[in-house]
Amino acid sequence: MPKKLNSVILNVILLVMGVITVYPFIWMILSSFKQNQEIMALDQKLLPEQFTIQNYINMNERFDFMRFFFNSVIVTIVVTILVIYTSTICGFVLSKYKFRGRNLLFGFILSTMMIPWCVTIIPKYTMIQSFGWLDSYKALIIPAMFSGFGIFMMKQHISKIPDEVIEAARIDGASEFRIFHQIIFPMSKNSIASIAIFQFLWTWEDYLWPYLVINTKEKQLLAVGLKMFNGQYSTDYGALFAATAVSIVPVLIIYLFFQKQFIAGIASSAVKG
Amino acid sequence: MGAKYRKYQSKSEIILRNIVVAAMIIYFTVFLIIPIIIAFAGSFHNWNPLSGTYDFLGLENYKDVFSSGLFGTSMINTIIFSVVVIIFRVGLGLGIACALNSVLVKHKTFFRAVYYMPVVTPMVAVAFVWKFMYNPQIGTINQIFGLDVNWLMNPKTALIAVMIMTIWKDFGYAVVMYIAGLYSLPSDVMEAAKIDGATSWQTFRYITLPLLKPMTLFVVITSIISYIQAYVQILIMTEGGPGTSTYLASYIIYDEAFVKYNFGYASALSFVLFVITAVLTWMSFRVSGDEEA
Amino acid sequence: MRKRFLALTMSALMAASTITGCSGGGDKAANKDVVAPTEPFGDTIVYDPSVEVNNGEDITIELWEWGSDDLFQQIIDVYTAMHPNVTINLVNNPWEDYWTKLPLALDGENGPALFNIHNSYHENIINYLAPLDIPIEDLEADFNGVSAHVIDDKMYYIDYGMMTGSVYYNKDMWEAAGLTEEDIPKTWDELIEVAKKLTIKDGDTIIQAGLNFNDDFHQNYLLGLNYQLGENLFKEDGKTPNVNSEVMQQIMQMLVDMYHEDGIGSENFGEKSSDSFGQGQSAMVIQWGHYYNTLKTTWTNIDFGVFEIPTFTEETPYAYNRYNGESTFGINKNASAEQQAVAQDFVKYFLASDEAQVAFNIAMSTFPAKKSLATNEEILANPSMAILADHIDRYIWPGPMPATVENSLKKAGQDVFYNGVEIKTALDNAQAQIIKDMKNSSFESVESLYTYASEK
Repeated sequence: MPKKLNSVILNVILLVMGVITVYPFIWMILSSFKQNQEIMALDQKLLPEQFTIQNYINMNERFDFMRFFFNSVIVTIVVTILVIYTSTICGFVLSKYKFRGRNLLFGFILSTMMIPWCVTIIPKYTMIQSFGWLDSYKALIIPAMFSGFGIFMMKQHISKIPDEVIEAARIDGASEFRIFHQIIFPMSKNSIASIAIFQFLWTWEDYLWPYLVINTKEKQLLAVGLKMFNGQYSTDYGALFAATAVSIVPVLIIYLFFQKQFIAGIASSAVKG
Repeated sequence: MGAKYRKYQSKSEIILRNIVVAAMIIYFTVFLIIPIIIAFAGSFHNWNPLSGTYDFLGLENYKDVFSSGLFGTSMINTIIFSVVVIIFRVGLGLGIACALNSVLVKHKTFFRAVYYMPVVTPMVAVAFVWKFMYNPQIGTINQIFGLDVNWLMNPKTALIAVMIMTIWKDFGYAVVMYIAGLYSLPSDVMEAAKIDGATSWQTFRYITLPLLKPMTLFVVITSIISYIQAYVQILIMTEGGPGTSTYLASYIIYDEAFVKYNFGYASALSFVLFVITAVLTWMSFRVSGDEEA
Repeated sequence: MRKRFLALTMSALMAASTITGCSGGGDKAANKDVVAPTEPFGDTIVYDPSVEVNNGEDITIELWEWGSDDLFQQIIDVYTAMHPNVTINLVNNPWEDYWTKLPLALDGENGPALFNIHNSYHENIINYLAPLDIPIEDLEADFNGVSAHVIDDKMYYIDYGMMTGSVYYNKDMWEAAGLTEEDIPKTWDELIEVAKKLTIKDGDTIIQAGLNFNDDFHQNYLLGLNYQLGENLFKEDGKTPNVNSEVMQQIMQMLVDMYHEDGIGSENFGEKSSDSFGQGQSAMVIQWGHYYNTLKTTWTNIDFGVFEIPTFTEETPYAYNRYNGESTFGINKNASAEQQAVAQDFVKYFLASDEAQVAFNIAMSTFPAKKSLATNEEILANPSMAILADHIDRYIWPGPMPATVENSLKKAGQDVFYNGVEIKTALDNAQAQIIKDMKNSSFESVESLYTYASEK
């Protein structure tokens, strides 16, 4: 009997937490179908009194939503793939090769994660400007190619792949490049999935940097569009909520698709067995 | 340390190693070290990129940082904010992950996805939604609990309100991390404990918890780093108010750098904050008694 | 993995396109049939459309702005109809971050040739501006408030419109309280009496506030009422703030008394006065001109009226209130000579064209700075402008104050209302903060250029 009671209590707690988690989303999504007047109305109702899709139309009129969306998808996928590749190969070299200064290099990479972004953003901007990369995707992609976090995760993971596996391949005469691409890479699938999810989310939401370096409207990204609703004198809440609702869809899909590998990947990277 | 060098290194190994190490060094030099050096040099100057001012000040900016009452207040706020949010994040994350790991619960995947939703939602939107919920007249929170509290304008509740929102947004991250941690626990040890007749509390206290320590460390450290840099929620929900009661250290940096364009002062603040972050991170490693990262 | 990514991307795109109904672009087609003026127009500044721009050769420039695309596109369409060889690309930016990006862009070679200016960010951009080609005397002949913008005998931008604060009241509540047009208050005492009648309480709980100034008391009261009492915001040197004077304390005390003694509102009722009025919770608010548009677009249910800001006595004050200008475009001095020439020509067209001036002033709810438009019918049809027409010359502009003046007074007010700080202490802190923040500022008050400056 107590087992059954425990089960009920446990499920109820989880459900309550779930409701608390979901409620603001429901409010936001339902509000995206309301007029601003109703969103701010004194007499609050959860369901829209006057159902309107005007916010979604406005959102599209204020900025070329589909184009922004597509730009974001491309940039995010390119950056994510590059980061996965560089993190894995750096992780491999840092964990399986021994050379002088290795720990120093790794320690440095770890410490880069702690630098507040506002310190470096202006010098970085000036630099990109002098490279002549402004208003091109080079400015978005190249400075984001390596990730301290990604390298850290991959190093933790790959150091757990037994050396024997690599040695065996070496004896078979495989070159190091082949070992990396055909053995290490496939064996890191789960960690790659977890880096993919983190990196996709970060690149997808990053706002200030793309805004600063991209000028042409046709090249702009979605996260920048989200800020357009915050005006000089007022915020267009309806359109903001509509755009947010749409913009979290891809990240959620990515997460749902890779959930299993994501969790397995974190398990193999962050916890030392 | 005394790294052991293998006697024979193949040519391809040397080539790969050199390419990768060189790429890392070039990348981190260009996109991190150089900007950091520029910013560090700037922290000794009266630096305003807009008016083109760049005058040497010596340690003036750093003196200002330490004599500024606002920085003191904001540092206390930042520490309260980080500690409370991290405790709840870890506590809720661990609790819910264990619950979800239990055989008694169905629909695990569903719950896991639900709890993760706030994590993937942009902070800007979340902060606006919560600002509505905290509204004293039309907000959901006062309506549901029948309260009459001006959450964001009362110096006693404003920071708490921002912390609650942050916990809501971030606990799902810890849940997923701990699920991953539990997933990788060696099942033979758990089985053995069961056979030895350990109660579930004993198993949790003496086996699960210690085994999860590296994960806890991971969550705590990533949290310290991100909370010390938190400012978006403050910018949208309180602008540091009422008065200056919810200023966080990063919000001052944002304000000095991008509102007042005091880049020199903002850089000095950033370096002080960086040192504090580094010390706290190092302390977390120490406390956990785990010397190696 | 790659296949999976592709599948993901496709499904995400499909999801998004069904939600948004997948319409993209198609916004520029509407304005094709613009009639280009052919005859010269203008007052002292005359624009002659028959003069070729850039020798008739094709040229493209960018115009950066925040906010309303339609408004800017409208004047661009007229201009490009006159000069088909010119293409002007409009770039819309989010308001807050515009000021971070614009100076960085102007610092390089590829910055926009033309950009919208807000004078609160004057110091961020003044170093990148090219002076206007138009003689200052001509500008002064056509526009009010020009002299305050002269810097070293050069003119970089002027105001096309003036915005200030007025009282907005809810007509239904007004009627329900048995008030008529006759009751429109002229003085603060009268306003408080009216507000008492408009306040509805259930015990101690406010149901309807007579007056609400939450969240914007600093902008609409503290930085303006000082002029009614004959005091400037800055001391004689034009640099030292004057925000902890006795007059300022008196104003802050009046605000506190309004809530705590007269009970016509509360700091915890309606957290933002502008929203609270729109929600039908507060009967009166003081708001600046832009609020007229907010009411017309967001709060369409509210039947409202506008009256001029009350004064302390029945006599004409030193000045009624502070105003702020909406500025004309800036011209980028780092742009190519050809682009700058087009930009200069565009600004001249903007200043000479009455249609453009009226359109911008109506869109922003500002009172036109162009003298010939003071009696324009379209302008006076807007009540928030009409009430200012009588003594628009009695409004004063202190110059492009750095943002810290507003922000520090906002903090001071919050300290008084929410943190229980003494009025004197709070204002002293604000004074100290402003002095500290303005240490490196080149700002100098132009209050001494005000027409009635000698009356102080």
